[in-house]
Amino acid sequence: MARYGMALDYKNCINCKACETACKEENGVLLGADNHRIWVGMKEIEGEYPNLSIASNTFYPSQCQHCDEAPCQEVCPTNATYYDKDGQVRIDADKCILCSYCINACPYDARYVDDRTNTVDKCTFCTDTRLARGETTTACQNTCPTKVRIFGDLDDPNSEISQVLQNREHFTLKSNLGTKPKLFYLI
Amino acid sequence: MHIKEFITTIPVKKVTLRDIVSFEKTPINLLIAVMTLLFLVLFAVGITTYILHGHHAYNVTKEHPWGLLIAVYIFFVVSSTGLCIVGSLGDVFGFKDYMMISKRAIFGSIITIVSGFAVIAFEIGHPITMVIYNILTPGFTSAIWWMGTLYGLYMTFMIIEFVFLLKHNMKMAKIFGLTGLLVGLAAHSNLGGVFGFLNARTISNGVFYPMYFILTAFITGIFLSFIMYGFKYRLKFDEKATLLLTNLAKIQGLLIAILMFFVTWKMLSDVYGGMPNRAEVARHIFSSATFWAEVFFAMVIPLFIILKSAGKNIVGMFWGSLIGMVGIFFMRYNLVHDTQLKPLQMLKTSEYQLVPTWIEYFPSVTEVMISLGGLGLCLFLYYMGTKLFNLDE
Amino acid sequence: MSTEVSRRKFLQGSIALSVIGGMASTNLFSNEEKKGKIKTTTKTNTTQARTVSTLCEMCVNKCALIARVENNIITKLDPNPLFPKSRNMLCARGNAGIQALYDPDRLKYPMIRVGEKGEGKFKRVSWDEAFEYIKEKTVKILDEEQDNRSSFMFCAGEGMAEHTFKTFYDGFGSSNWLNHSSICLQTVASAYGVTLGTYPQADLENAQYIIMAGANRAEAFVTPDTMDFVKKVKAKKNSAKLICVDPRFTNTAAKSDKWLAIKPGTDLAFVLALTYVTLTEELYNKTYVAENFNGFEEYSAMILKENYTPEWAEKITGIKAKEIYEIAREFMANAPKAIYYPGRRSTFSKNDFQLRRAMAIFQALGGGIDCKGGLVFGKQFKLKDHEEIIPMYDNAKARAVVMNNQHIGYDSCAIVSGGGSWISWRNNFLEETQPYKVRGMFCYKHNPMMNMPNTAKTAQMLKKMELVVCIDTMPSDTVMYADVVLPECTYLERTDPVKTFGGVEPAIAQRNKVIDPMYESKPVIEIMRALTNKISKPLFEITKKYDEEVQSEIASSSEKEVYEEFDLTKPFMFSQEQINEYTVSDYPDAAEKLKTQGVYYPKMDEYFKQLSENEFEYYPEAAKSYSVNGGKPVTPSKKVECNIESFTKKGIDSMPMWRDEYMYSIPKNQFRLMTGRHAQYTQTSTANNAMLKDLMYQNYLWINKHVAAEKNIAFGDIIEVSSKIGKTSLRAYPTEKIAPDNLFFIHGFGQESSELNWAYKNGGNDNAIIEDFMEPVYGAAAMHETNVEIRKV
Repeated sequence: MARYGMALDYKNCINCKACETACKEENGVLLGADNHRIWVGMKEIEGEYPNLSIASNTFYPSQCQHCDEAPCQEVCPTNATYYDKDGQVRIDADKCILCSYCINACPYDARYVDDRTNTVDKCTFCTDTRLARGETTTACQNTCPTKVRIFGDLDDPNSEISQVLQNREHFTLKSNLGTKPKLFYLI
Repeated sequence: MHIKEFITTIPVKKVTLRDIVSFEKTPINLLIAVMTLLFLVLFAVGITTYILHGHHAYNVTKEHPWGLLIAVYIFFVVSSTGLCIVGSLGDVFGFKDYMMISKRAIFGSIITIVSGFAVIAFEIGHPITMVIYNILTPGFTSAIWWMGTLYGLYMTFMIIEFVFLLKHNMKMAKIFGLTGLLVGLAAHSNLGGVFGFLNARTISNGVFYPMYFILTAFITGIFLSFIMYGFKYRLKFDEKATLLLTNLAKIQGLLIAILMFFVTWKMLSDVYGGMPNRAEVARHIFSSATFWAEVFFAMVIPLFIILKSAGKNIVGMFWGSLIGMVGIFFMRYNLVHDTQLKPLQMLKTSEYQLVPTWIEYFPSVTEVMISLGGLGLCLFLYYMGTKLFNLDE
Repeated sequence: MSTEVSRRKFLQGSIALSVIGGMASTNLFSNEEKKGKIKTTTKTNTTQARTVSTLCEMCVNKCALIARVENNIITKLDPNPLFPKSRNMLCARGNAGIQALYDPDRLKYPMIRVGEKGEGKFKRVSWDEAFEYIKEKTVKILDEEQDNRSSFMFCAGEGMAEHTFKTFYDGFGSSNWLNHSSICLQTVASAYGVTLGTYPQADLENAQYIIMAGANRAEAFVTPDTMDFVKKVKAKKNSAKLICVDPRFTNTAAKSDKWLAIKPGTDLAFVLALTYVTLTEELYNKTYVAENFNGFEEYSAMILKENYTPEWAEKITGIKAKEIYEIAREFMANAPKAIYYPGRRSTFSKNDFQLRRAMAIFQALGGGIDCKGGLVFGKQFKLKDHEEIIPMYDNAKARAVVMNNQHIGYDSCAIVSGGGSWISWRNNFLEETQPYKVRGMFCYKHNPMMNMPNTAKTAQMLKKMELVVCIDTMPSDTVMYADVVLPECTYLERTDPVKTFGGVEPAIAQRNKVIDPMYESKPVIEIMRALTNKISKPLFEITKKYDEEVQSEIASSSEKEVYEEFDLTKPFMFSQEQINEYTVSDYPDAAEKLKTQGVYYPKMDEYFKQLSENEFEYYPEAAKSYSVNGGKPVTPSKKVECNIESFTKKGIDSMPMWRDEYMYSIPKNQFRLMTGRHAQYTQTSTANNAMLKDLMYQNYLWINKHVAAEKNIAFGDIIEVSSKIGKTSLRAYPTEKIAPDNLFFIHGFGQESSELNWAYKNGGNDNAIIEDFMEPVYGAAAMHETNVEIRKV
């Protein structure tokens, strides 16, 4: 029993997309524009050449937030989306009826349709691949050149993630929706 | 044996294939026959394409996962609920004037929901899984679960009610009719809830849709009553029908006025409420042609016809209802599309792309074929109903 | 190939990379075009798998990785934490290596051309048939050229096995060797070489102030610099200040504290002005300069005399004088823990060599040489050389370069380096001004068609060559012009020569074979072994026929004894594994460790520590090699060479100076074209990688937003970009990140090889339009001197 979360030292992100490829190779995510579990977002730069705002060009790595109060879970008619024992929001492909309600309900745009199983899929924190093998990192964290990600057990006060969240300011995305995300952006 | 006996005593006309293909060969009838057949062929082609390519045959995307088929499904189930309400006026609530339409309306409510289910079966990726896990692992917090389950029950009640109506067992018909109506209303408001519960989609979030759905269902039911009677009487209404339809037109006038009041306030509070996302989406909706199609076809034109003759121009209202149903279609399409207008991901996920703005969607050929197929199925079932059953007495 | 290879998209193992059949044809009914075609990846299993530690080859960095093999299929590549250079990371390209291995377009069989050159029509042959063909043609040419071994040219791309191929070149006895240096880092490496004694590394981990000019480490990866600079700049405590100088707002600019938009090719003026401020305000490290500089007085006097003030530089560079004053002061205040980052880029402008000299000297003025937080030389573990043969051929002519009769030196550049000047060589070949005929070429892992300016001329060169032998993994544009194609296996299917990596934290690393070579492909060492077995004796016969010295040697001893000296097969007798074991035999355990862990350095077991999931320690602070030469440069004089008078004879400025011809100007309605690298693509070699294409489908033309609006150009419009020498087309990306008179696009796209299914005609080819301008010192290609026009099509 754990409660897995991820802290993102997002200002270190250089938008190299190593995490995206590692995720796809590790988890067998189909290639194609709509198929991704994780991504790096950016805004259009502000200002006019050469007076450009450096701060406006920040990169935001993101993925499923593994919300404690996940809207996608609430709306699932067959409980195909469920919370597993370690707090991850998971999908049971056998139960998924592909009604796409979860895609519509997720405020983070984290879900997509996997064309092989023809069910909705998303980030699993590598639960069924790496963690199942006893590894302690996710593919995205492990491969990251600038080590943006810290993954670990939020219930363990001594874990690196708990420590860093205690000591550094952070925010979560769309927190006004009350979803209680477990992806934390370190300031 | 009771059940077998019960079933064998349902009054069904004996029809042969010859009976089925024999109808008065007027141009309009021929046109409708050809159209129905064509739609059914398109249905078959659409389904084949879907089976071969899955959702790739549709223009739905990650950003716009619900497309035309969801809108058409809603169109049909709203029609069903509406006809159920109209049908209940007579046999459930005992308004004598409306008794004559009950059987036809209840039959209509059955075939429209069947058509709706026929369409949604090709939108839900795994309909059989749905039937199994809807029961094994029900998602009680999901509006879709309630909506689907209740509509399933509702359809059953409607069929039973219809059977009792055929058997002239008005007491049982009333019991099942009332139950069916309540379940239907619950199902239908849950359909509104499917959108109302989406807190990520501020434009749809809230109590508006569950209530508005019931109102628009009633309006739809009345439009459909005009259309069914228009065809039945070939626009030469007898006295009884004239009385019924005039009353319905008056009710319709009131309902449309209330709807316009609702919609006006919804849009006013959306635009001026200043809620982020909601206000800009509402402003965007104002600039879309489909919104104005909804307003003019479903509200302004029918209301104008009703008000101009104080509800007495029932031939005009027949045409007004046809236009109204086009408006109702846009109403459903807009509801689905507008909910998904605003991308949930407003960041660029690649250097080489434009900043996400409004999500665009236009149905694929396959989606259009399956949707028209639903309409074809509905027309075909209605025609069969007129052949098999006595829908009037 | 059009008959056989295009239909060869059968799948290996369970990995299916092909487009799922039939779907693409129904776009009337579907949104697949919009969604992109579907390709498959494999999910890793939870059961036990075999792992192999090896090194990446998706770019030049050679990061350490661990391959996961399930049922003999590689399902995942993970970073190997043991290697100090790559610090437990694998970038997008490294992860996408699986797609390179299982690329359905790979070269699979030896082939001989049957159609016209460039047409791509080949027939599949056996290895022996291919070698036989090479033998016959080679013997014929050498016979006709009377054993002038230099009538063959050899070229190779960068890589760990480049050395294996070069051994073949050495034994063959040609003097014509060309590699990537003149289209890569020739000028920067040489300028630092003559000024400081070597091309140094940057200790970004400990620097307090970093100027990164023209280098884009957030996108053009160099390990460990890329990881170090970001962590250092964004560190919560004791962070460094980063000044990014670039005409384009790059991802490096996005991480900087200040971005200065400089006009292309004017960096030298910027550095000279920084130097001016440093000298006039006496900000430099006087002790260091007094002890370690040669020619400081002359340099200082020249700078002051020429009056390279920040105000002067502002007019040239577009960077405000105020900023230049500030940066010079801040840099020197932080020195020696301040770095003017040397960069590792291609040559962009004609003054590049002098710019690098000026940078090296400016760096040294602060004393940040061979010290913590400055430029470092680092330590390197020595490896044993293995046997090579360099027999002398009497008739082999010297390198085919054109001498200048009027002045001392060469026709096209002042100095010809080991790697040669590609452009100069090619152009002279075409103009037939070379002193003798070069008639054949062996090309290993190199793509001259795509990699150097003026593609049309390269095509002419390849057409004119009588025998072109290409050893490669992919059907590149150059392979399309080959007479014989020899398929090499990818880096995941071969063991390569062990390599030593110098630096603050030195290590030795080895590429180990993960799976057996697929199809009929072979590692280059095996190709060389078989090829030399075929041609060694016949070539000796030619030598015997024409080489009088050999004839007399045979007369005085025996043919067998003489042949032994000339036996081309000798260096390839042993397997790569055996050679590697020998190479590291000075270090106990090293061979074994390299095989199992991929990485070795003395005391690794004691030193290596995992600090957290993300952090590793390779050496304790005290054992790190920040300083290896007492802070002194490693030039022969052990001084920083400011004024190299011998250059004057060759027509090179002895000190870095600004010349009027360096001034940036472009005609009206034209744009200066810039090109560059990217974090998801490595030049032309990754253009067909399905995974990378998924991240970025093609290259786009960066154009200033306002200019685009004026010209009615929207995102995605197809734009034809043309220069004096050619044109190319690609899609527009209007952005604020580029100056109104500049254009930019990423190098490596627009392939013409129809056998590359995903890369074929995808995006624009920069080398089709970059003119063959050369930098005058080494004849390196000056890539940012071309002006272009655009047209919406």
